[in-house]
Amino acid sequence: MTIGEDLRALEAESLTAVEGATTLDALEEVRIAYLGKKGSLTAILRGLGALSAEERPEVGCISNEVRRALESALDRRREALERIARASRIAAEAVDVTLPGRGRPLGHQHVLHQVVDEIVEVFSGLGYRVAEGPEVELDYYNFTALNHPADHPARALQDTFYVRDLSGDTAVVEGESDVLLRTHTSPGQVHVMESEKPPIYVIVPGKVYRRDVADPSHLPQFTQVEGLVVDEGVTFGDLKGTLEHFVREMFGPDRRVRLRPHFFPFTEPSAEVDVSCGICGGEGCRSCGGEGWLEILGCGMVDPNVFGYVGIDPERYTGFAFGIGAERIAGLKYGVPDLRHFIEGDTRFLHQF
Amino acid sequence: MRVSLTWLKELVDVTLPVDKLCERLDMTGTKVEAVHTLGAALDGVVVGQVITKEQHPDADRLSYCSVDVGADEPLNIVCGATNFEAGDKVPVAQVGTTLPGGVTIKRAKLRGLVSEGMMCSPTEIGVGGEGSGLLILDPDAPVGEPFAEYYGIADTVLELEVTPNRPDCLSMVGVAREVAAITGATFTVPASAPAEEGAPAADLVSVEIEDGALCPRYTARVIRGVKVGPSPAWLAERVAAAGARPVNNVVDVTNYILFELGQPLHAFDLATLAKRDGVAAVTVRAAREDETIRTLDGQERRLASDTLLITDDDGPVALAGVMGGEETEVSEATTDILLESACFDTASISRTSRRLGLISESSLRYERGVDPDLASRASDRAAALIAEVAGGTVAPGLVDAYPGQRAPLQLRLRTGRVNALLGTDLETPAIATLLRPLGLSAEGSGDELEVVAPGFRPDLEREVDLIEEVARLYGLENITSTLPGGGGRIGGRTSRQRFVSRIGSVLRAAGLDEHVGYSFGDPADLDRLGWELAPDELLVELINPMSEEQAVMRWTLTSSLLRALSHNQRRGIADVHLYEMGTVFITSEGRKQPKERLMAAGVLAGSWVRPGWNEPAPGLDFFDGKGVLASLLEALGVERWSVRAAERSWLQPGRTAEVIVRGDVVGWLGEVSADVLERFDASGPATLFEISVPALLKAASKVTTTFKEIPRHPAAALDLALVVPEDVTSERVVSAIESAGGALLESVRLFDVYRDPEGVEDPERRLPEGTKSLAFSLTYRAADKTLSDADVRPVHDKLVRKVCAVVGGEVRS
Repeated sequence: MTIGEDLRALEAESLTAVEGATTLDALEEVRIAYLGKKGSLTAILRGLGALSAEERPEVGCISNEVRRALESALDRRREALERIARASRIAAEAVDVTLPGRGRPLGHQHVLHQVVDEIVEVFSGLGYRVAEGPEVELDYYNFTALNHPADHPARALQDTFYVRDLSGDTAVVEGESDVLLRTHTSPGQVHVMESEKPPIYVIVPGKVYRRDVADPSHLPQFTQVEGLVVDEGVTFGDLKGTLEHFVREMFGPDRRVRLRPHFFPFTEPSAEVDVSCGICGGEGCRSCGGEGWLEILGCGMVDPNVFGYVGIDPERYTGFAFGIGAERIAGLKYGVPDLRHFIEGDTRFLHQF
Repeated sequence: MRVSLTWLKELVDVTLPVDKLCERLDMTGTKVEAVHTLGAALDGVVVGQVITKEQHPDADRLSYCSVDVGADEPLNIVCGATNFEAGDKVPVAQVGTTLPGGVTIKRAKLRGLVSEGMMCSPTEIGVGGEGSGLLILDPDAPVGEPFAEYYGIADTVLELEVTPNRPDCLSMVGVAREVAAITGATFTVPASAPAEEGAPAADLVSVEIEDGALCPRYTARVIRGVKVGPSPAWLAERVAAAGARPVNNVVDVTNYILFELGQPLHAFDLATLAKRDGVAAVTVRAAREDETIRTLDGQERRLASDTLLITDDDGPVALAGVMGGEETEVSEATTDILLESACFDTASISRTSRRLGLISESSLRYERGVDPDLASRASDRAAALIAEVAGGTVAPGLVDAYPGQRAPLQLRLRTGRVNALLGTDLETPAIATLLRPLGLSAEGSGDELEVVAPGFRPDLEREVDLIEEVARLYGLENITSTLPGGGGRIGGRTSRQRFVSRIGSVLRAAGLDEHVGYSFGDPADLDRLGWELAPDELLVELINPMSEEQAVMRWTLTSSLLRALSHNQRRGIADVHLYEMGTVFITSEGRKQPKERLMAAGVLAGSWVRPGWNEPAPGLDFFDGKGVLASLLEALGVERWSVRAAERSWLQPGRTAEVIVRGDVVGWLGEVSADVLERFDASGPATLFEISVPALLKAASKVTTTFKEIPRHPAAALDLALVVPEDVTSERVVSAIESAGGALLESVRLFDVYRDPEGVEDPERRLPEGTKSLAFSLTYRAADKTLSDADVRPVHDKLVRKVCAVVGGEVRS
C-alpha cells in the first residue's frame, strides 16, 4: 500500500471511530488516538519528511485533507454530544411545576378598612378632604349642635355610652356626664364647620359606638364614614348625583339607586338611600327580604339649625351630609352574615378579603 | 304603626293595589316595614252546612255527620261537639288545612269511621270566644265560601315605620290623610257629636292645670249609666287589628279613638274619684316628693318630683299620658265615667315613660306630640261611641282647660328657596298644589306662599320643613341628579393621613394581617398584664358599660392582640401575624375628654408559613418582631433608631426591648411572658410590639431623603471574627467598628454568633470561658477607585486593633 492509501484507510477508520464515540470523553480519546502527540495520523505526518520530493506534495495534500476531515468530524461530533449532554442535564433538572412555590405570607388589610379606603378614594376623586375627630366626644358635638332636642331618645343611657367626666363640670343634659362615645361620625361635621369656612368638601371616617349587644346584626362598635358639603348653590340634586356616583363606584354600574324621604334631626330634607339588590336585581328575593332594595345609608340637606350652631349663613350657603356604615357596605358587598366576624380577628376571616 | 287596609279604605277611597300603595308610601317617607295578610292562616276553612248528624256507632260522645262544603260530594266528618244540629252552618277545615294553633287536618279514622275534615270552634280558628262548642254561623252564610272572607277577617295590615317628626301618622286618620295626599284620593275625617242629656258635666267635674307648659289642654267629659261588658265584634276586631288586646267596651272605645284619631284617652271610674261638694276636682300637677301611685299593672310606683300627674283631692289617680291608676280603673261595676282627652308636654311624658320603663300606645303618641285641638273632637266622638256600645248618657258639655291655646303658625315659603335647595324648577302654584292635600292652607301668588300649618303637623315650624314636604310629594325620584359645581376645593388625604396609611401598608408587606378590635378595655387587664399606669394617669371609665370586661376604654392595643391571638389559637390556627392600628385612651384628674393616641401594634406567633416540601418553617421569635419593626422604620425613612434591653411586666425578661428614635422611647417589643399568655388563654412563644404613631410621625418628619451616588467601583469585603466577653452587645461592637472604620468602611454586617456548647470541658473549648465570638463582614469601598489589597489591609488592621482595644476582645484565631 502506498502512503496515500494508508492515509485514506486511516481516514475511514478514524471517521468511524468518531461516529462511534458516544461520550465527550470517548471522543477525546479518539482525538488523541489519531491527532494526539502519539496519534496514528500524527505519526504518518511526522513520517512525511522521509518521502521523496516527488511524493511529498501529493501525500502532503492527502494528509491535510484527511486531517481536516477528521477535525471537522470531531467538531461536529463534539457539538452533537454536547447537545445531547445539555439535553440530558436539562431533562434531569426538570421539576414538577405544580409543586407549591416558596412564598412569604401576604398581609391582608381588614375588610372594613378596605371599604373605608375605597370610599375615601371615590370621594377624593370628587375633591373631598379627609378629616378626623375624637372618639370620646362632648354631648354638644354629638347631639346638641346636630339639632337633637334635649330629650332625644338617642341620648338615653341605654343607647349611648357615657364617659366619666373628671373635669368637675355638672352635666347639662344627661344626668351624670356630657362626655360620651360618639354615636356617629356626624360630630365631625360640626368640628369642620367650626374651624373652616365654606367651601367645605370633607369626609370623616371613624369608629362609633352604640349600646347594642353584639349579635349577628349588631355591634356596640362600628365604623362610619361621614360626608359633608357646604358651598354656595348646593342642592338636593347634587346630593342625589353624588350618592348615585358613589353607589355605582362601590357596587358596580348596573345597580340602581333610590332615595326615600326619611327623618334625621340634623338634615332636612332627609333621605335614606337604597341600592337595588345584587342577587335578584330588584325583583325581590330572600337576601333583600323580598323588597328588591337594600338600605345602605342616610343623608340629607344640612338643617339650618346646624348652620346656626356653627355660624354659617344658611341663606348664603347650603349643604348636604351623609353617613355611610362600613360594616353595612362590607356586609352587603361580600355577603357577611354575622357582624361579629369583623371584630374577632379570626385569620380565616381576614384572609378572605 | 299597624294599618288595617279595610279600616283605611273606610277613610280614604284608595284604589291602588297593595304593592303600588306600599311603593308610594315608601317613596314619600313612610316606609312599609311589613305587609301581613290576615285570614291567610285560614286558607282551607270554608263555610259548611251539616246535612245529617248521626250518633257514632262506637263512641257515645262522637257524632258522625255529612257536611256540604259546596263540593260535588259532601264530606263525612266525625265530631265531638254537641251544640249543633243538622242544618246548621259551621266553619269546616278541609283536609290539608293548617289551623292557627298549628294543627294540620288529615283524613283520619276515628273509632272505625273515616273523618274527612273538622268542624271548628271559635278558638280553633282564632276568632276569640270560649268553650269547645262549634261556631254556629248565620243561616244565610253561603256554603263553600272561604270562611275568612265571609267572616270579614280577611284583611291586609301594613306595618308602617313612622318617623319621629310625623306624630300625625300614628293614627288611621293621619295615615288616611297622607295616603290621600300621595295618591290623589279623597279622604274624610270621621266625626260624631254625642247626644247629651242630664246635668251638665261642669256640675260633676272641675279641671285645674297647675302648669300650662306641661299640660296645654285637659278636657273631661262625663258619661253616666254605662254598662261595662264585652265589646261588639267589630270594635274588638278593629282594636285587635291595630295591635291592642280587647278589654271591655269602654276601654276598647278609648283605644279605638286612639288608633283612629291619634288622641290618647283615659276613662276613670267617676265613682272612685274623690269629690269636693259632689264635684270630682281633677288637678294636673307635678308629683310631690315621695308621692306614690299603684298603676294599672298592679305596681306600686314611687314618683320623681317632675312626674306629671292627674290627681284628685286624695292624691294621684294617673301618670299623665303614660298609665292610669289601679284604684280609678274602669271595672265591671263601673257605671259613671270621666273621660279624659288631654295634651301633655312631649319631653315630660318621654322622661316619665323612660324613667319608669313604661311605654304605652299613649306615651308613644304624647312623646311625639299630640295636636291640642284634637282633644275636644276626640272626646266628642269617643263619648258618642261609648254611649252607642255601652249605653248610658253623655252629660252636656265638655269641661275644657286650654291654657296652651295658640294661633296656628303662619309660614312664608319662597319659591326661589324651594328650587335653590332642591335643584328643581317648580312654580308657585305647583308648590301650593303639592301642599294642600296635606291639610295645609297655601295661599299667595308670585314667588311666595303663605302657609298655615295645622295643629296635627307640629313638625312644620320653618320654611325648610315645608320644603321637605314639597320634596317628598314632588318625589325625590323626579329631582334631577347633578354634582356640586363649586370650585376651590382640594381633595385627598393629608400628609399625616398618608403616613398613617403607609404604616399599615408596610406591616402588611411584612406579612401581618390587620385586626380591628374593640376600643373597650377590661380593667382587670391591668392585673393580667401587671401594667402600671403613671401616677397621674387614669383609665377612661364608662358610666354605662355593656359588661365588666368592657368597662373602660383601652389604654393599650396589647390586650386586643392577645385576645385575637387566643381566639385563633383556640381554633387550631398556630400561625398568627396580626397588627392593629387604633386609638388608645388615657385620662387624668380634671380632664373632661381623655387623651387619645393612635398606636400601631403587632403580634407574631407560630411561623410565617407552615413547613413546605422545600423549606422549613422556623418558629417566630423576638428577632422576627424586630425585623418587622426594622422594615417599618426603614420604610418610614427613620434611619437612626435603636433598641435597648428593657423590662415590661408582660414581657419575658431578657427578651424585651425598648425602641428608641433620636433618644426618645417610641415603643417596645418582646416575647410575651408565659404567665401572661396563660392568663389570656394563649400559647407562646409570641412576640408583641407596640409603637406610638405620633412619635413615629415626629421622627419621620425630621427625615429628608436626598440622593446618594450609586457606587461605580467594586467593593472589597473582609471578614472579622472577634472573641468578646458575653456582656459586650452586638450593637457595641458594631458601633466600635463604625467609628474606627474611617472613610473607606461602607458597611458592617453581623453574620455569625458562636458560643461553645454547654458542658464542654476545657481542652475541647474553642473559646475562653465567658466569651462569645461575633463574626462580621466588613465592606470597604472608595468612591474614586478600585481598592487593592494594599489599600484595604492597613486600614482593616488598624480597625481591628482599635476595636479590640475598645470592646476588650481579640481576633478569633
